[in-house]
Amino acid sequence: MALVDRYLHAVKFWLPRNQKDDIIAELSEDIRSQIEDQEAAIGHKLTDAEVEPILKRCGSPMAVAGRYLPQQSLIGPALFPIYSVIIRSLVLYFLLPWMLVWLGVTIFSPDFRADHPGAALFASLKPWWLACTYSLFFNTLIFAVLDRSQARLHLVNDWNPSALPAVRDRDVISRGSTIFQLTVVVATLATWIQLDAFRSVFHIFGTTLTLSSRWPVFFWALVVVSLAGIGLSCLTLSNPRWTRFTASFRLGIDCYSFALFYWLFRSNMLQSLSASGLSFADAANFVRSFNQWTASSAIWVLIIGALVAFFDVRRILRVGPTA
Amino acid sequence: MWYTVYAIHYMSPSTSTDSQNDDRFENLRQELRRGSLPLAVLAALRTEHYGYTLRKTLADHGMAIDEGTLYPLLRRLETQGLLVSQWREEDKRNKRFYRLSPDGKLILKQLLIEWKSIHESLEDIF
Repeated sequence: MALVDRYLHAVKFWLPRNQKDDIIAELSEDIRSQIEDQEAAIGHKLTDAEVEPILKRCGSPMAVAGRYLPQQSLIGPALFPIYSVIIRSLVLYFLLPWMLVWLGVTIFSPDFRADHPGAALFASLKPWWLACTYSLFFNTLIFAVLDRSQARLHLVNDWNPSALPAVRDRDVISRGSTIFQLTVVVATLATWIQLDAFRSVFHIFGTTLTLSSRWPVFFWALVVVSLAGIGLSCLTLSNPRWTRFTASFRLGIDCYSFALFYWLFRSNMLQSLSASGLSFADAANFVRSFNQWTASSAIWVLIIGALVAFFDVRRILRVGPTA
Repeated sequence: MWYTVYAIHYMSPSTSTDSQNDDRFENLRQELRRGSLPLAVLAALRTEHYGYTLRKTLADHGMAIDEGTLYPLLRRLETQGLLVSQWREEDKRNKRFYRLSPDGKLILKQLLIEWKSIHESLEDIF
């Protein structure tokens, strides 16, 4: 019976203090009755090995004790869906992009790696860890408090069906936004052509800027992508829904545009600069700094491009092949 | 040909599908029985029982229930005022005897009407 006593002692540990003895007395009586019945059936006292299956069938001490406790949860089912959406959004739109940016900078930026050698590289993630910990902790805390107060304040039950948001079809493209995009692209293109932006040398307010020989190539490529954008806008004006074709077209345009900008940013865009009152050395310094800045910013173009492409691919998968 | 392949695939013994079906059936069966347990316990306690004999009575009637489920349920029903209990010595051991309280008798009557109505509705649906 030592085994039974040990079992009951283990159950007792998890029970509410004021009910411990009562519950244990009743449970003990039941287990001993089972043992007696079995002993009567087989004609001898049960060994510990034979008692073991009876106790195993009763369940682990913690599980048995748990059944006597009231059901408890930190955040109940009424508020958990909202909590879950917030945590998922936090991870998907804040913590994950941050981590991707960190990974991108770590992999592609030698300057960043040089500034954070060895363990310092991981130490640079400290703000991310803090953001994770604080955001998860405070969100959970706020929802736990709301959960405890919502029963009194009727936060969940006090609602009005007519105040519910309208159902939004994510595959519908608003004509207004398409017309706006179309206007912006056409106006930009017209202005650039008017300004004769195909050349490499510009005179603006007494300053002469000489751009990289890649600029005219970039500009023509930009004209092509703008025309493709105008074509896509015309298509969506005639059929204002995302289809697999238009969504793939959008992905192609976005990938092409970001690749183009990445290429331009890494091409020492500014060749020279001259202005009255600006020394040659100062101008050269400015050109070097500007080109360094654009080269180091190229990674951001790539990261933003990857994020845009991610959402474009999600859209293609969402509309499906039949759309 | 595809029909043959399809038929062979679905007619051949598939252990994973079978076990999935078993699991789903077992979960639904337990859910169904769990809902009927308070009624079975209240009905059985029209006669006084202590825990172990109550379990045996229920098991004899095909409503086996483990001690981890029964005792917390008895405690809950007693807290709700549907049962009364008393510690008494029997066969040189202290046992807690349960029986229906007057409120319990009333609730049991109402629950039996409800259960019969559910049963009739289900019969109608089937």
